[in-house]
Amino acid sequence: MSSLELTNISKRFGAVSVFQGLSLTIAAGEFVAFLGPSGCGKSTLLRIIAGLERADSGEIRLGDQRIDTLAPGARGVAMVFQHYALYPHMTVRENIAFGLRNGGAPKAEIAERVAEAARVLEIGPLLDKKPGTLSGGERQRVAIGRAIVKQPRLFLFDEPLANLDAALRTRTRLELAQLRRRVRATMIMVTHDQVEAMTLADRVVVMNQGEIQQVGTPMQIYDRPANTFVAGFVGSPRMTLAPVGLVPGDARFATVRLGDGSQVSTRVPRADLPSEGLLLGLRPECVRLGPPRPGEPTAQVEFIERLGDRTLVYVKLGDGTAVTAEDKGASQAQVGQTVGLRLAAAAAHLFGPDGRGHHAAGRAG
Amino acid sequence: MTAAGVKGPSLAGFTPAGLAGVALAAAVMITPLLWTVGLSLKPNFELMRDTSSVFGPPYTLENYRAILANSNVFRWVFNSTVVSLSTTFGVLALSSLAGYAFARLEFRGRRALFVAVLLGLAIPEQAVIIARHQMFSALHLHNTYPGLILPGLSAPFGVFLMTQYFRGIPVELDEAALLDGASHFTIFWKVLLPLTLPAQATLGIFTFLASWNDYWWPLISATRSSMFTLTVGVASSQMNFAQTSGLGYLMAQAVFASVPILIVYALFQQHIVRAVAGAATR
Repeated sequence: MSSLELTNISKRFGAVSVFQGLSLTIAAGEFVAFLGPSGCGKSTLLRIIAGLERADSGEIRLGDQRIDTLAPGARGVAMVFQHYALYPHMTVRENIAFGLRNGGAPKAEIAERVAEAARVLEIGPLLDKKPGTLSGGERQRVAIGRAIVKQPRLFLFDEPLANLDAALRTRTRLELAQLRRRVRATMIMVTHDQVEAMTLADRVVVMNQGEIQQVGTPMQIYDRPANTFVAGFVGSPRMTLAPVGLVPGDARFATVRLGDGSQVSTRVPRADLPSEGLLLGLRPECVRLGPPRPGEPTAQVEFIERLGDRTLVYVKLGDGTAVTAEDKGASQAQVGQTVGLRLAAAAAHLFGPDGRGHHAAGRAG
Repeated sequence: MTAAGVKGPSLAGFTPAGLAGVALAAAVMITPLLWTVGLSLKPNFELMRDTSSVFGPPYTLENYRAILANSNVFRWVFNSTVVSLSTTFGVLALSSLAGYAFARLEFRGRRALFVAVLLGLAIPEQAVIIARHQMFSALHLHNTYPGLILPGLSAPFGVFLMTQYFRGIPVELDEAALLDGASHFTIFWKVLLPLTLPAQATLGIFTFLASWNDYWWPLISATRSSMFTLTVGVASSQMNFAQTSGLGYLMAQAVFASVPILIVYALFQQHIVRAVAGAATR
């Protein structure tokens, strides 16, 4: 197990700057997810760590060793590719052993390590098959086997679950979590799927347009989003971001006024808040429906998504502000109905005009 | 349709008219071949009187015996085999290496060099034959195996074919191999080259056939009978009046020269059909 330290990494593709002075430290044994939309640079960063792309400047250290000057095969890094990248003309056994053979390992040791990897991943019966005859899940396991057999200091997973169907993805996610307990190594996973990131990673690095937006534990990211991008990207359905005005006063916590005139008393300290240009952030589970009541916002139901255990209700306030609410079980709400919104104001977030998040005092994280 | 998806001939899907058309086309194709084989089995004196005697006995293997009686024939077959196999393996090796380099390696002038190679496709052999002849004379390469083999190794089509094929292989395989500690040569030799076997088979078969059937350059370069290839040797043994006085012998020579090609076809039939089908659908 080794820590990974990226210092001032910059990368350009022609006129396009992907990163500029990006720095990040990952502790030994940590499982970190790079999360972000397509084109945010997360895969490029992974490839730079692997040595498949060269950074224009900066330094990468794995443990005590500087690795950005080394060839990919000499870095002590193994990678599981999105499309597995298994050698189609080789058997599973040959695929897994290929790296060890190139490294000059003795035959007996190769056989032993391949057998051990096959045992851990339960792919023993597949060893003499070609990748073309395997299912997606089996190929995924073989790709992981090819990585773990090298006993690398750092594992890299590039969208490891992206090619699996929903059922297999859930199962493989569980297997990855179990694998992580068995194989004690530093791991980085690239994903655009927040569920994968939130469920597997110790820490999540949220990226957008080549910049790290926030680094934190999954619950930190969810409960205290650093800015409007993180707030909007993490969480499904996305957090409602409604423009609000700060109600003047000298109370410790901020009270804001929505576009329809209704007021929300938050638990966000007033002290650091800018006076205008604020956005109120509300997760759907913080907005419940009920009969209209005086002093509470009312809204009209626009659209309903019934998910079985819960119902998502998309409503519009009087001024046209869209809000997403969540009802437990099968909601009684009807499209066109006027409903009252019960806001869990203590969980509300405020975002300044610069996008920076301000959160309720004392919330988890 | 993928090459792997090519199946054997099937009559399913043909309308009666279509079937009749195909049968007619097949008859048109096969008639000259049968005619050639038929004439080769007839005594020459009989054919001098009337070629329609091919439809009835007597038949004889005398013409084939006469060919085999010529001590040079086996030498010519050997020469053709050496030249064709050397050219084929040379083209495969050079085209694969060049294709890998053009498809995978970054180097200055790669695009310009590739365009230059492609321009080679547009230059007919006739345009360079005198210069080549002069050069080979200066290098004393005429009447040698290198003299017969080297021109065939210049194969811009092979380079183009292999480049395109390498480009079609996912780069992730190279990257996985790099992370597995493989060198560029190991990636080429152990990872990518085995995946190009269908293209190698296509290129190899077409190169072998073209080299075996080549007549013009061996005719120019090989002036000594011992260095003739089979095509040149067979042609050289024809008399001026061969078509009237030795028609059966002439036809037997044609059949004899085709036998190695038929053997190659029988051995690689599946690959040849795939290659042609692939060329038609790609």
